[in-house]
Amino acid sequence: MKIPQPPTANAKRRAPAGGRIFFRWRLLAAGWLCSAGVFTLLLQAQVPPQVSPEAAAQMIMRPQTPVDNSQSANLVATAEFDPPAVRPGEKTTYRVTINATQNSIRWPDEISLPAGLSLGPSARGQLTQPDGTPFRPLTEFVYEVTPTAAGRMVMTNFSVPIGWQTVEIPAATLDVAETNAASPAARKITLEVSETNLFFGQPFRVRVIFPATAGNQLEALRDVQFNGGGFLTDKLSVRQAIEPVGQGDKLVPAFTYETIATPLAAGPQTMSAQGFTVPPFSAGPLTITARTGPVMLGGAASGRPIFLVSDAVHLNVRPLPEETAPAGFTGALGKFLADKPQLSTNRVHVGEPLHLRYGFHGDGDLTRFVPPATPRSRDWQIIADPPPATGFTLIPQTDEATNTPAIPFSAFDPATASYVDLTIPPLPVTVIGDGLPVQLPVLDDEGKTTAPLKLSGLAPAPGKTAASLRPLQLRGGFVIVQLLPVLGFVALWQWDRRRRFLEAHPEIVRRRQARRGLRREKRFLQKAAAAGEAAAFVAHAAEAMRVAVAPHFPANPHALVCGDVLAQLNDAERNGRAAETVRTIFAAADARFALAPETQADLLALPAAVEAVLLTLEEKL
Amino acid sequence: MSHLRFTIYDLRFCRTARRLGYGIVFAALFFAGGIGHAAATNDWFTQGVELNCAGQFPEAAAAFAQSEKIQPAAGTLVNLGITEWQRGRAGAAILAWEQTRWIDPFDARAEADLKFARAVAQVEEPPLKWFETASTWLPPNAWFWLAGASLWLAVGALVLPGIFRRRKAGWQQTLAALAFGLFLFCLTANFGLVSRTQIGFVLTKNAPLLLTPTREGEVITTLTAGEPARQVRTRGDYVFIRTLGGSGWIEQSQFRLVCPK
Repeated sequence: MKIPQPPTANAKRRAPAGGRIFFRWRLLAAGWLCSAGVFTLLLQAQVPPQVSPEAAAQMIMRPQTPVDNSQSANLVATAEFDPPAVRPGEKTTYRVTINATQNSIRWPDEISLPAGLSLGPSARGQLTQPDGTPFRPLTEFVYEVTPTAAGRMVMTNFSVPIGWQTVEIPAATLDVAETNAASPAARKITLEVSETNLFFGQPFRVRVIFPATAGNQLEALRDVQFNGGGFLTDKLSVRQAIEPVGQGDKLVPAFTYETIATPLAAGPQTMSAQGFTVPPFSAGPLTITARTGPVMLGGAASGRPIFLVSDAVHLNVRPLPEETAPAGFTGALGKFLADKPQLSTNRVHVGEPLHLRYGFHGDGDLTRFVPPATPRSRDWQIIADPPPATGFTLIPQTDEATNTPAIPFSAFDPATASYVDLTIPPLPVTVIGDGLPVQLPVLDDEGKTTAPLKLSGLAPAPGKTAASLRPLQLRGGFVIVQLLPVLGFVALWQWDRRRRFLEAHPEIVRRRQARRGLRREKRFLQKAAAAGEAAAFVAHAAEAMRVAVAPHFPANPHALVCGDVLAQLNDAERNGRAAETVRTIFAAADARFALAPETQADLLALPAAVEAVLLTLEEKL
Repeated sequence: MSHLRFTIYDLRFCRTARRLGYGIVFAALFFAGGIGHAAATNDWFTQGVELNCAGQFPEAAAAFAQSEKIQPAAGTLVNLGITEWQRGRAGAAILAWEQTRWIDPFDARAEADLKFARAVAQVEEPPLKWFETASTWLPPNAWFWLAGASLWLAVGALVLPGIFRRRKAGWQQTLAALAFGLFLFCLTANFGLVSRTQIGFVLTKNAPLLLTPTREGEVITTLTAGEPARQVRTRGDYVFIRTLGGSGWIEQSQFRLVCPK
């Protein structure tokens, strides 16, 4: 392939030392980009290689050439419509360029437009241009403008404060006429995303495509930014290439800028891309004959960078179903597969480390892969390997461990919208405990070994037992047990008190004894009546009556006679049947003292009357 | 009316007999359960001894622990300590022998093993105050019964002669004074006993003593297995302990009291 080498200004004159170095760097970059462009024309996109955190830090912390933001006196602002002549209803771009940093410009929130123009979306961007050392800033503001009527529209000049100075933005003119020729298709960039229906945290590929012009003239993009607040783009995964892209029904060469973005907010999101055009080579235009035709690299038609903004892409970001998140979910999204975990050995002593190696692979974003969290285990000390290594160092703490601990891990598969359990399973191991010495020599004062101090042998029997190691003092029944003697003493005190009371009131004792005796005699009385023994019936009836009246005198029951019983009856009873029953009973009882005792059998018919008398007497006790 | 009274009397008698029968059955079941309980304990104990002799120390320790769980016994705990020592777990062994001495302070085997273990592991005995030392002279429950008996003996010697209308003899008052003195001594021993329930031992080697009860707490020092410590308070999975070397938090799984709560 023959690459034309037109003479350039840099080649004609001898550059200063700094300029020579910069020139060499640009030559190297041109060569690299040329090779990359040629080789990538027919290649498919590849997954970026994994970058270790240390390398990433070095890439980010590389010292950069300082930017000149000293606000020199020659601030220059330009304003123009691009294209400057359009038909009514045809879109154009109002573009303002200022050679100052974006932060120093206090750009108005709204700008006044002449009648007949409607304002569309706007964007702003900053570029640092290499201009020797240091870099020079360039800020550009663009507005999408659509004329609604024909005529010559003039965007009047206005002032913008920059730092402590004020810069005048010059007027710009737009010719709008039906007779204007159709303007050539505006240079524009396109934003492509791998997915538009995403989950929160799900990495997706974004690609900015900057196709070549109609004449296959190709330019690159610088300072590419993605607009939209709900995303995080990965600067370490950026891939820039020149490759054929489909445009309609044909392939055209295009500069592509590809990276990985991660949504950080749920809900509908909007994303757009912006960047500045730059020639891919400063050395001059290169023409490469490719399958898609000759491609001219560099030598752009426009000598200065052009700020381009893509159309917005609308995305739907769904939240993760956190309520069903299993244990071990560290935020891994994608389709992952787990390799079989491997142990360095399966037979260790207590305290001896072994290594568990695991691996996950799949189509998820491994640059942000968070390895499984180190679990806690009573039997194992677990130490995670430092990244990017994947593994754990396991140290058994006891010989009771028969398996390595399960290490929970799970990932969310956006394709199935479900969590996948990738827990590292427990693996069988044999842990051997190291015994302690069972014999210890004891040395005397002179350092000579005497009788060894040794561990005792096993006890042949369980020996002395206890219900619990917890002492009685700390058990709940302690108070109850202590209350038992108290209760005993209270009972004794009550008994003594009652005894003293009864000593002071002997009639209570006599009445109680009488009631007890009366109940006893009643039982004998009923037995005698049931057996038909008249003599016994009479004797017990008389005895019961005596016992019942004895406390009233007080007297021994055996010393009482019929008159004493009658004396305890009231007047009505004394003249009634009760007195007659008493007399009959006592007469019959006294008959035993007769020479020829004779008991009348009809007395057995008196139980009811006797019971009534006894009840009367009992009520008076 | 009288017939009703007699019926009630008969019913009372029948109920008393029934209660007596229930009591006999309950007592029989209780004693049968106790015999079964002891049999289960002996089974685990025998199994533990056999496993230990076969060199299967983890299994033997599990068997002795099961036997101890069913019924703590001095011999079981001695054997558990020996097995744990043979497994290389000095902390658990020392704890088991201390528990043996808790049950039976006169167990010479546990005392010798403790002396041996402390000489090998280079750990100290728990420092005891004088009333705690006194509480080690008898088994824990003995102090309890002795305190109760001496108190009520003193009270009885003072009160009962009055209740029974006897003259207070000199020997009765002497007995009351001696019993009351014994009660006061038992009180201090009981207090020492309760105080000793907060003593425990570190179970694992190089157990970290943390400044805060958190997983990422700063490590003050590391403790040796079998080192004695006093539990002050607990918080979550951590125990604040006071050792000879300082105070700090330790994981509950790495520390156990002699008298578990």
